[in-house]
Amino acid sequence: MYDGRMRYEGTVYRPPSEANSFLLQATIGCSWNHCTYCAMYRDKQFRVRPIADTLEDIAAAGRAYGDGVRKAFVMDGDALAMDIDHWEEILTALSDTFPNLRRVSCYATALNLLAKSDQELERLRTLGLKLLYIGPESGDDVTLKRIAKGASFADLDLDQILLNKLAWNPRKNIGQGGLLKFVHGGEDHAYNPDVIQSLQVAVKSGNYNDYRVYADQINNRAPIALRDLLAVNNNNCKAISIDDVEPMEEIVKRFDSAAMSLGALSPEAHETLAEAMNQLGGRSNSGEGGEDKKRYGTVKRSKIKQVASGRFGVTPEYLRSAEVMQIKVAQGAKPGEGGQLPGHKVNDLIAELRFCKPGVSLISPPPHHDIYSIEDLAQLIFDLKNTNPNAGISVKLVSEIGVGTIAAGVVKAHADHVVIAGHDGGTGASPLTSIKHAGAPWELGLAETQQTLVLNQLRGRTRLLSDGQMRTGRDVVIAALLGADEVGFGTVALVVCGCIMMRKCHLNTCPVGVATQNSELRKRFTGKPEHLVNYFMMVAEEVRGLMARLGFQTFDEMIGRVEYLDTHRAVDHWKAHGVDVSHLLHKPQVPEGTAIHAREKQDHGIDAVLDHELIRQAQAALTEQQPVVIEAAIHNTDRTIGAMLSGKVAKRYGHEGLPEDTIYINTTGTAGQSFGAWLAHGITLELQGDANDYVGKGLSGGKIIIYPPAISPIIPEDNIIIGNTVLYGAISGECYFRGVAGERFAVRNSGAIAVVEGVGDHGCEYMTGGTVVVLGHTGRNFAAGMSGGIAYVLDLEERFTQYCNTTQVELESIVAGGDSEYPDDIEAAAGGMLIHHQADQDDHLILHQLIQRHHHYTGSEKAQEILDNWTYYVAKFVKVLPIEYSKALQEMAVGQMVEITNREQAHG
Amino acid sequence: MGKPTGFLEIHRKIPANSPIADRLQDFREFTVQLNFKQLSQQGARCMDCGIPFCHYGCPVNNIIPDWNHLVYTKKWHQAIHVLHSTNNFPEFTGRICPAPCEAACTLNIDDNPVTIKNIERAIVDRAWQEGWIKPEIAEQKTGKSVIIVGSGPAGMACAQQLARAGHKVTLVEKNDRIGGLMRYGIPNFKMEKRLIDRRIAQMRAEGVIFRTNVHIGVNRKSSILLEGYDAVVLTGGSEHARDLPVPGRDLRDIYYAMEYLLQQNRRIAGEVIPDDIKISARGKNVIVIGGGDTGSDCIGTANRQKAHSITQLEILPKPPEKENKALSWPEWPQKMRTTTSHEEGCDRDWSVITKSFSGKNGQVKTIQCARLQWHQDTSGGWQMEEIPGSEFELKADLVLLAMGFIHPVHEGMLKDLGVALDARGNVKANTRQYQTSIPNVFAAGDMRRGQSLIVWAIHEGRGCAKAVDEFLMGESNLPD
Repeated sequence: MYDGRMRYEGTVYRPPSEANSFLLQATIGCSWNHCTYCAMYRDKQFRVRPIADTLEDIAAAGRAYGDGVRKAFVMDGDALAMDIDHWEEILTALSDTFPNLRRVSCYATALNLLAKSDQELERLRTLGLKLLYIGPESGDDVTLKRIAKGASFADLDLDQILLNKLAWNPRKNIGQGGLLKFVHGGEDHAYNPDVIQSLQVAVKSGNYNDYRVYADQINNRAPIALRDLLAVNNNNCKAISIDDVEPMEEIVKRFDSAAMSLGALSPEAHETLAEAMNQLGGRSNSGEGGEDKKRYGTVKRSKIKQVASGRFGVTPEYLRSAEVMQIKVAQGAKPGEGGQLPGHKVNDLIAELRFCKPGVSLISPPPHHDIYSIEDLAQLIFDLKNTNPNAGISVKLVSEIGVGTIAAGVVKAHADHVVIAGHDGGTGASPLTSIKHAGAPWELGLAETQQTLVLNQLRGRTRLLSDGQMRTGRDVVIAALLGADEVGFGTVALVVCGCIMMRKCHLNTCPVGVATQNSELRKRFTGKPEHLVNYFMMVAEEVRGLMARLGFQTFDEMIGRVEYLDTHRAVDHWKAHGVDVSHLLHKPQVPEGTAIHAREKQDHGIDAVLDHELIRQAQAALTEQQPVVIEAAIHNTDRTIGAMLSGKVAKRYGHEGLPEDTIYINTTGTAGQSFGAWLAHGITLELQGDANDYVGKGLSGGKIIIYPPAISPIIPEDNIIIGNTVLYGAISGECYFRGVAGERFAVRNSGAIAVVEGVGDHGCEYMTGGTVVVLGHTGRNFAAGMSGGIAYVLDLEERFTQYCNTTQVELESIVAGGDSEYPDDIEAAAGGMLIHHQADQDDHLILHQLIQRHHHYTGSEKAQEILDNWTYYVAKFVKVLPIEYSKALQEMAVGQMVEITNREQAHG
Repeated sequence: MGKPTGFLEIHRKIPANSPIADRLQDFREFTVQLNFKQLSQQGARCMDCGIPFCHYGCPVNNIIPDWNHLVYTKKWHQAIHVLHSTNNFPEFTGRICPAPCEAACTLNIDDNPVTIKNIERAIVDRAWQEGWIKPEIAEQKTGKSVIIVGSGPAGMACAQQLARAGHKVTLVEKNDRIGGLMRYGIPNFKMEKRLIDRRIAQMRAEGVIFRTNVHIGVNRKSSILLEGYDAVVLTGGSEHARDLPVPGRDLRDIYYAMEYLLQQNRRIAGEVIPDDIKISARGKNVIVIGGGDTGSDCIGTANRQKAHSITQLEILPKPPEKENKALSWPEWPQKMRTTTSHEEGCDRDWSVITKSFSGKNGQVKTIQCARLQWHQDTSGGWQMEEIPGSEFELKADLVLLAMGFIHPVHEGMLKDLGVALDARGNVKANTRQYQTSIPNVFAAGDMRRGQSLIVWAIHEGRGCAKAVDEFLMGESNLPD
């Protein structure tokens, strides 16, 4: 391959004849591909030609072109070789020779390279050198300034020339790539056949020497990550004996396995990971798909439960089973996108865990719809902490420019853990657009976060964790030195379990049973918890060895000690010659005693919430299932009402909860945010008044009733009484709102029933289940991304089609079933209501019942009006039925028929 | 690529062999190739792995997933292009390579691997059939001359590549026909020799000059290599056989396997072998010492010569029937292999050491053996110990020594040139420059590497050609 000599061929531009020569092009001749930059920049009518490549030539060019030259562009043949004095010479010569010269430009990065200080840059500017930026806009691109000073356009150009030469080689077919898939002699991949083989051998033998073969392959490879440009040195401190270093068993407690959902992975793989991490005292992560209840309380439970933007399977029972609840703000490997599970991978088990139908694809929306600002995040953290006061809250952020600022906000919002996720990883199911050139490496994000938090005296309040292709003990040590309390391992854990990087995860054909739901292939899974335990122990052993060399007895001593890293690793590669990673190693100047690693716990401020009182009053219900009725006056400073109580119910009674209406809470006033969050089955919250955002978020079986008080003069069906993002991620339960809701009503609803008298924009967005009735106007973009559940909208003015996003849904009129005998009011309103959607359900009956209940609970005059004129109104309803859902219901009907025939055959 | 679910739906299928009774009648190839539709189905089993272990495990780094897919999608013409981009002689490897690619195939972890070797063979056989294979004549000659000594797979691959790069290549061979061990060491029933002749025709058209009966150091002075050629490539193989110096070794009818196999190949080529040097197994009790592929070739040949009985003796212990794939994948596993020759009739025994031969009137009649015990010592090395009282005797009318080759023959050319040798007696050169201690002399194949596979020889021939091209021209367009 390339041997380090810079060679130019063809006609692009001529090579510099000496180190300090350059090529001068002036905009006077024909437009020329290289100089189109100048032409593009402003004056397209000027033409461009190369006219000089040494100082002597400038004089000659002056005689030839003299007055005609208005602009000059200086191309440095070898950027590093041109120093400031040489530039000064050139600029002086230019201004002397060309009287009409108005501007001299060059590549911005070349300038960054050669100006060692701001004074020199200033000097160049005063000499008349204007900067021509090609590429990123201004110096605000911190990465460019920080790291890519080293990549000059000459380097990028040479890269293209070499590629061009390879492509045109007549002796070799056009290469078959190597960028996304390993090809011998092609692009270096971190996971290549040697690494996979040596790792799998080492974890099966448990022999540390075998592990060292693997570790050396990774640690000594040609540079492909930032940490490959760093060296760990012992800063002139004394090494200590390895026996004095804290034991492996303590170090492995700092490891966790990264978030990989059941759905992405097979149940066998997921459970093996959990079991191993639990054995070690570390933690495994459920990923965003919910978890099978039978794993709770066993060695196979996931200690970290993820709350992702899809809110799949997030019930109070799920939350209470966690040791850490992780809010996945984004995924490092797919920044800006949510998780994606193709429909054919959603089998019965997955569908059950995620509370949706099999065969329907599950896409998590990119943002959390209840996190639009840092205060919203603080609210969510508060909500989760209320539901499970014993667990810590973790927030997973993506490594990118500015993550330090975000992390500071997150810590102030009382996150107990902050995860900085790097850009590598994601299974083969990631879309191509996310695999390359998206996200940033964890080293950058972690360094920035550490520096920002330390500077702002926030570091001690939280634990920092980093992940993104961690593989060896050296990676762990570098992460620790850059500021991490803990380290996460994702892909490597799968490779230990047998993954061979087939990259066919999205096709559900994983031949080693790791990332597939196919029952035949799952039998081929060969991973064992022992292998993972071996792996992590050996990594910890390597960490201990390094700690001994650096003189650290405990891991805590190592955190944030960037002075033990330096950039003098001998890297012999022409592309690395200008890269400067010193900003990573900056240590902020702070007063003595300022924390640089986790030291204290966050105070979440949940000691005085209203729920403590509600719980006290509901004791009889909690312990003996006695019905209780509680009265409470509330204010908008009472946030997250009902969540802590629901947590208690879930702890004792699971998702099933208590019998309907066991704990009946009558409230008056204005509710704060997240009224009825994760309300468990058996709890009913009735509010005479109004509420703010996030009412019923994560509703898990409870009932919420809200109506304006009798003395209020407003016309409820025309006024907003609840806020935005109501019922976000609701799973089951009922809500009756006598009034209008804000935006994104029932977003990501997967099973709750709701009746409301009007909604704002984006109603029922991303809904996957449940039933929604809107007795009035909807905003625009209703049913965007709706792939399940059913909505009924009262369309009196027949304009609903304009407001509905019909990409995934079909609009139908309501058809009566065969038996349209409606139950009377009392019967209809008794107990709880469950709706199981069928392909041929009686929509009239369902709608009638729902509106009856709505009237019963809220006294709604609108509901009364509709019931009194039923025949007229029912014809004005539009049924919003998602196409995928309709298919899934049909398939269910087919399944039922098959069951019947099988039973017949068995008995016959 | 293949079909994503192909491996779940289609079973591995390789060509059938004709019945033993039929194949023992002659020395022709006896496999019955699958039809094109079946071959496409086999190509569909490939999963297009994100990390193609086959491609990595193949010594010439064949771009296997690509041509598996092309066969599946019936684009045979494109397939041969992709195949030829890495392998000069796929018809050789497609027949006699042991297929480390298949051992490395990810389907081999818990299933049956893709039939890579057979697909490779099918592609090139069809290409020849359809006339798609043409000489690739260099557009410009460089005016440089290269002489290559030894026309086995390494020499041939090197010659073809250098000729295609425009150099004037002379390939010399000590025997009277081109091909090295491929022609004279491998029995015809494993690879028919007309395949070699086809390639010779192609190479001749590409400008390679072949000279047979030229034995450097014996009937030509070695110094001619260093005068009159810009570069020299030594690909003379590793022909110094391991001997068995026990009492009775001088008795008649104890031969090196190579002498025996070579003679049979000459016979098939139409030569008449004089009686006084004729080696025949007809009606005899044959003992083959050495349990590898050469031993297996001797068995097949002896059966076709209507031997009375054949016994193969191996000094190492019997390998396991099935390998432990969890530990051996993706490497070549040690396991019991039964070749077609074994099926044709043979007794096998392991952990046996030869003590002596006995005979009458200078002719060998019996062989005296003993059994061995193998155990691991403290440093992990294996040690053998004779089991006392385990001696036994077998009838032996013809003994064939197939115990491998130690290093190239030093007498003659290598001693004359004085090239440096490595610790094992092979010509010293690395696998980047392939350069010996004499700057314009290069070595490749078994002569540099020690006895190895044809596919490695092709790899080295190609690599050496690129190194020679760079040496002569400053840079090379030849692929790795």
